[in-house]
Amino acid sequence: MGKHHEDNYRLNHPDFHPLDQGLDRRNFLQKTAMGLGAAALQVLLGGHSLQAKSIQDQILESLPKIAPKAKRVVYLFMSGGPSQFETFDYKPNLKNMFGEGLPDSVRKGQRLTGMSANQAVLPIVPSLYNFKQYGQNRTWVSELLPYTAQVADELCVIKSMYTEQINHDPAITFFQTGHQLPGRPSIGSWLSYGLGSENQNLPAFIVMVSKNASKDQPLYSRLWGNGFLPSEHQGVQFRSSKDPVLYLNNPEGYDGEDRREMLEYLKKLNQAQNQTWADPEVEARISQYEMAFRMQTSVPEVMDVSTEPDEVFDLYGPGSRDKGTFAANCLLARKLLEKDVRFVQLYHQGWDHHDALPKNIITQCKQTDQATAALIQDLKRRGMLEDTLVVWGGEFGRTVYSQGKLSANGYGRDHHPKCFSMWMAGAGVKPGSYGETDDFSYNILKDPVHVHDFHATMLHLLGINHEELIFKSQGRRFRLTDVHGKVVKGLLS
Amino acid sequence: MPKGVALELKNLPNEIDFNIHVKPILSDKCFACHGPDKAKQKAGLRLDLPEGAFSRLPESPGKFAIVPGNLGKSEIVKRILSDDPSYKMPSPKSHLELSAREKAILIKWIQNGAEYKPHWAFVAPIKKEIPASTIENNPIDYFISNALSSKKLNFTGSASRNFLLRRLSFDLTGLPPTVDEIEFFKNDSRPNAYEIQVDRLLASPHFGEKLAAEWLDLARFADSHGYTIDRIRDMSPYRDWVIQSCNKNMPYNQFIHWQLAGDLMPNPTKDMRIATAFNRNHQQNTEGGIVEEEFQTEYVMDRANTFGDAFLALTTGCARCHDHKYDPISQKNYYQLFSFFNNVKEAGQISYNDDMPTPTLLLPTDKQQAIMDFIQAKIKTTEGKLQQVKPSGFDDWSKGEGPTLLKKQSIPQHGLVAHYDFESTLTNLKNDKEIGVLKHESGKTGDVPQFLVGHSGKALAFDGDVYCDFNRVGVFRKSEPFSIGIWVNIPKNLKEGVIFHKSNAERLFNFKGFHVYLKNNSLEVMMAHSAPSNAITKITKNDIPRDRWVQLTLTYDGSSQAKGLKLYIDGTEPAMETTMDQLYKDIIFYSKQEPGLQIGGWWRGLGFKGGRADDVLVYNRELRPYEVMLIAQKNSSENIFKDPNHVFDYYVTNVDSMYLKLKNELRNLRTAYSDSTESTQELMVMQEMAKPKKANVLLRGQYDAPGEEVFPNTPEKIFPFASNLPKNRLGLAMWLTDSRNPLTSRVAVNRIWQNLFGIGIVKTAEDFGNQGEMPFHPELLDWLAVNFRETGWDVKKLIKSMVMSKTYQQDSKASPELMERDPENRMLARGPSSRLTAEMIRDNALVASELINREIGGKSMYPYQPEGLWEINSHKYKQDTTQAIYKRSLYVVVKRSVPNPMMSTFDATSRSSCLVRRQKTNTPLQALVVLNDPTFLEASKQMGIRMSKQIDLNVSIKDAYVRLTGREPQEGEINILVELQKIEWAKFKKAPEKAKGWLSAGMSKIDLKEVDRPYVASLAVVANTIMNSDATITKR
Repeated sequence: MGKHHEDNYRLNHPDFHPLDQGLDRRNFLQKTAMGLGAAALQVLLGGHSLQAKSIQDQILESLPKIAPKAKRVVYLFMSGGPSQFETFDYKPNLKNMFGEGLPDSVRKGQRLTGMSANQAVLPIVPSLYNFKQYGQNRTWVSELLPYTAQVADELCVIKSMYTEQINHDPAITFFQTGHQLPGRPSIGSWLSYGLGSENQNLPAFIVMVSKNASKDQPLYSRLWGNGFLPSEHQGVQFRSSKDPVLYLNNPEGYDGEDRREMLEYLKKLNQAQNQTWADPEVEARISQYEMAFRMQTSVPEVMDVSTEPDEVFDLYGPGSRDKGTFAANCLLARKLLEKDVRFVQLYHQGWDHHDALPKNIITQCKQTDQATAALIQDLKRRGMLEDTLVVWGGEFGRTVYSQGKLSANGYGRDHHPKCFSMWMAGAGVKPGSYGETDDFSYNILKDPVHVHDFHATMLHLLGINHEELIFKSQGRRFRLTDVHGKVVKGLLS
Repeated sequence: MPKGVALELKNLPNEIDFNIHVKPILSDKCFACHGPDKAKQKAGLRLDLPEGAFSRLPESPGKFAIVPGNLGKSEIVKRILSDDPSYKMPSPKSHLELSAREKAILIKWIQNGAEYKPHWAFVAPIKKEIPASTIENNPIDYFISNALSSKKLNFTGSASRNFLLRRLSFDLTGLPPTVDEIEFFKNDSRPNAYEIQVDRLLASPHFGEKLAAEWLDLARFADSHGYTIDRIRDMSPYRDWVIQSCNKNMPYNQFIHWQLAGDLMPNPTKDMRIATAFNRNHQQNTEGGIVEEEFQTEYVMDRANTFGDAFLALTTGCARCHDHKYDPISQKNYYQLFSFFNNVKEAGQISYNDDMPTPTLLLPTDKQQAIMDFIQAKIKTTEGKLQQVKPSGFDDWSKGEGPTLLKKQSIPQHGLVAHYDFESTLTNLKNDKEIGVLKHESGKTGDVPQFLVGHSGKALAFDGDVYCDFNRVGVFRKSEPFSIGIWVNIPKNLKEGVIFHKSNAERLFNFKGFHVYLKNNSLEVMMAHSAPSNAITKITKNDIPRDRWVQLTLTYDGSSQAKGLKLYIDGTEPAMETTMDQLYKDIIFYSKQEPGLQIGGWWRGLGFKGGRADDVLVYNRELRPYEVMLIAQKNSSENIFKDPNHVFDYYVTNVDSMYLKLKNELRNLRTAYSDSTESTQELMVMQEMAKPKKANVLLRGQYDAPGEEVFPNTPEKIFPFASNLPKNRLGLAMWLTDSRNPLTSRVAVNRIWQNLFGIGIVKTAEDFGNQGEMPFHPELLDWLAVNFRETGWDVKKLIKSMVMSKTYQQDSKASPELMERDPENRMLARGPSSRLTAEMIRDNALVASELINREIGGKSMYPYQPEGLWEINSHKYKQDTTQAIYKRSLYVVVKRSVPNPMMSTFDATSRSSCLVRRQKTNTPLQALVVLNDPTFLEASKQMGIRMSKQIDLNVSIKDAYVRLTGREPQEGEINILVELQKIEWAKFKKAPEKAKGWLSAGMSKIDLKEVDRPYVASLAVVANTIMNSDATITKR
């Protein structure tokens, strides 16, 4: 996407003085499409003390010092908070504790949501579903995820994730932006800003939302917002409707060739105007119109799955032919990754099982399991898994106790932030299981991974030191990891 | 010394100024560890104060960070020049580095004596004396021309009248000039022609809209609550108040006084209270199950942060978790500011239906007000009549069997609609079709009642989760008298829980309905439309008896007043404190599943765990005190009705036909009144609690980690709070506009300057602190700031002085040399230019196509928007189908979680928090919007039709061009467009289906002959091409 924006760091910089500036910034930046995104590069260059160092030196110094393992990311966000008990965190001892109250020694006064805090009893409920170990790593996976089980050896299941947030909005916002309050840039925006785009015809950050998920908890586009970063870094939602990107379609009947012709005249008009003004913004606008036109072709192209062989649809499962389903979005994600889109994020809602969990979680797993595994297999056989990071997980976990009345096969689970499971796969990730929780999957026993640590690790895999990817806004330096986060070495291969 | 630093030293100016050169470096690179944040000061060193920098280093004996004039003895110098990672500063861990120039500056400053100066923005501005003649001309020009000549630059000549009028019209009204306005101005040969235009635009009713569009960003105005659920709310009366106040040129000090504290002014008017909605524009969370205090705290913080950002241009919010790292605002200061905004009785989790979060102001229309007044008057009369009722027929009645029957009844029978004795069923003894049902959570059934030993016979026992729902029994409106009696046995160890209620899921609907709730050792009685501030709340003062049977009766007279809602314990009214007495909307849900009386528990709330209940009685009238004595078994009916006064009273209130008729009338009138208020608009406003709420420092900024108690105060380093000011928001507002406050006026002037010149004199309009930028023209800023205050905070006058300046009127064209020297135009050797804002881009197209609806104010509108966007947020977008769709863009509905894509693509803010400076981006998505959004296609279509009526193509293209860009096209431009038209026309003639989208855009229908369609479409393409061109999009 475009790089012509007002760079607020550079101009805020105390050392900056327009009169001192001897660098043709635009030319310089256009030549540096490699490594760190041009926008972030400007920040790193900061001081502009050009007399002291050659431009080449500065570029070399500002290149990532960490060798990147991942070139791109696909993040399957399971919105609502999937239960770890019925997916990855096997707790056999709970079988004997059915219906018993949660011991205070386990809860340790931890806060509960207003939905179950006032419940008179907090009865323990074991998973209704069985677990088995799969693959060489003997990874525990529940019977609800048979396809995922088949790719178990690709996964690094983190059982010791934790977050600070106990309610959906702050928790999702925290996971997506590193802060619980709205207004900060999303992970994908940070990556677009930090790493730029490798595909000049597609946005660096693309979002898709499953149409076939239960909408129990709402989503909202600010989750892929750019916050204080320039708006070119916002996530662009690809939709299954006839306008796959907002305003992409030309007026009805007016085809691409017609548009091209019109845009040529627009360009002439702009050039004529710029003979008067000689304003770089006009040139920038001309190139943005060219990019827009390229998107008009490249987006429908990449979204067209008609040439995919049947075997691919079979791999992703029955939903994959139905545009907008999770399965179809997974297939599309693979295509976008092939085009080197930096960050693809899929949202699948419906995991907020306060109630009737055993029944509802079956639906969720059926909607997502096969396509998730297919995406991994498909990336692998195309040789892309080695430099693509795949992430699966929600915003928090669920409680060991039943929210509401417990019966033999009906229960619900409330939000639980203190431990939950998610997984990473692909580029630079060490397959296996990481971290341990107690018998109640209530507390972490070993190797806790905070959301900030997860972000730091993710950036590390992409070759970025999370402490260095900064943006200055309103007088302070912001990071995805705020002032926290550490790379979790144990997750790295 | 490294070569680079030595080289830089030579290039430095002779005078190194602390504020201009040094402090930005110290602040940005050093203060994080050696600044005002006491908790983070490393090695005991702080560099923000000379005392700190010059004193002995506590951890390095005998050493000093800075010894003025002595480089060799200054530890700083050694450290910044060192390459040793364990010794050098800033430490490599910080990821901060000093450039060679920065090192040189620090060295030279120390060498020159290391003079500290106070931060410029915290020193009150001084109005520099300037020659009288220049004041008459224009003080702005005096300062700018001096600055320019010192740089050997000159003003550029005046912009041509076309450009000037377009610039001025957008800047003052947000709208482009019309063709007639352009013509008029161009032909006006009067010497003051420009000033005439300025005055016309300042007087335009659209002036207020333009200023409001900017203010609404700052006020984080939105049409939805934000957070996940993000339902729509209507705060438009506040927005309209802003527009009107700007149009009336309300003095800026008054403008902010009202917004911060209108409710605290003596005898506040309706408008003053509307203005306080400013403090309630923040996001509010509807998500069920959130922690109440957590979000109450967030709301107060948002107010405090907005106060700092908007009026002080200080990032006060940074001191939420720790002392500010750069500015003299301690964490304690922050919570002192916080405490000004803390005294509002409000909900953390707002109601799950669309009730406005309280406190609110009712805003009836004139008609509604007239109806309400009329009914109110009748209520008064009827109440009066009731007082004076002369009963008739008592003698006859007393001779009959009436009094005898009264003496025989064990409980009052008149008006008894339900009686549950829980002997073995949950059946209403008065109507065996009404059977209570045990439920848990949101209403799941299947629980079996437990009947244990009761007060008389059996009682119903509760486990805290399961509750007994009597369904439609007990549904009363606030206009209807009723009474509810119940025997309860409250276990000793129960701290908190509901006894009975008519509501749904505890706070989920903000306690709409009524309840009796055990809280510690008291009973809380509440009747609410939406708690806490549209409700009646009373709490018993003394301890409640435990572990024995107690009779509770709640009686209510239908008056919507606390004194009409009474609780009796064992037949006697206990001492109670009324904590809220303003119930002004009804207490029912108006839903098919209207909840009725429920006892023993509620979904998501604490229940009557271990408690028992017996003999529940429901009356559709207010019981008399002696009747309550009867059901509490404190007296026998025999005894009670021995007293002739009781017999007479009973007769009057239960038998006398006139009394009953009037009582009935009164109830009907009150119901009618309630109906009339129900649809009345409500606005969230500020209302101060009688007793201020306790405020504490919150450790790490967390709501549940209170530290030291704090009281209202302002950061003393900025400007102390005068002791004679009230310690509330009104005092705070007055502090803000005190002539000695160094910030308020500067911040306001700078923001207004930014909105006219594209960039503030202080570029960081949101941050005047140590991390902000220095003013580019400091003397000018100060002169304007003082003058603004001295001339009565007159906004229109200030704006006029700016736009009348030669500086503003310059041509914006820059020579390549000037562009190179001053790409951002800080020196102002040319006129301002910038991309139109989101609002202007759309409004311009609407004006050019004459689709615009210039109606001012009213509800927000729903323009064209791609389908399906709101669905992910589980809402449905209902596009307007009337002329409202052509209203100006400041009325476009702002849904925080799913912003309007046209607006946000052009950098409109999300309104999640206060913002005073928008981004200015240039992206491909913007291209797609103006090319394909129906708003712009429809405008193009309408322009195409207009153009097609003109016989001469060149003339029609010229006209369209002027409408969109404010100027006539040059010959080359016309030629390009003429050629384009030809090609498009030929194309559409050959393939008419290609024109379809161009001719069907938007809801305006056109009636064209088949033969004319290709021509009109070709002209629409031409119009759209102009619309997309720089001449339209950029204001020059």
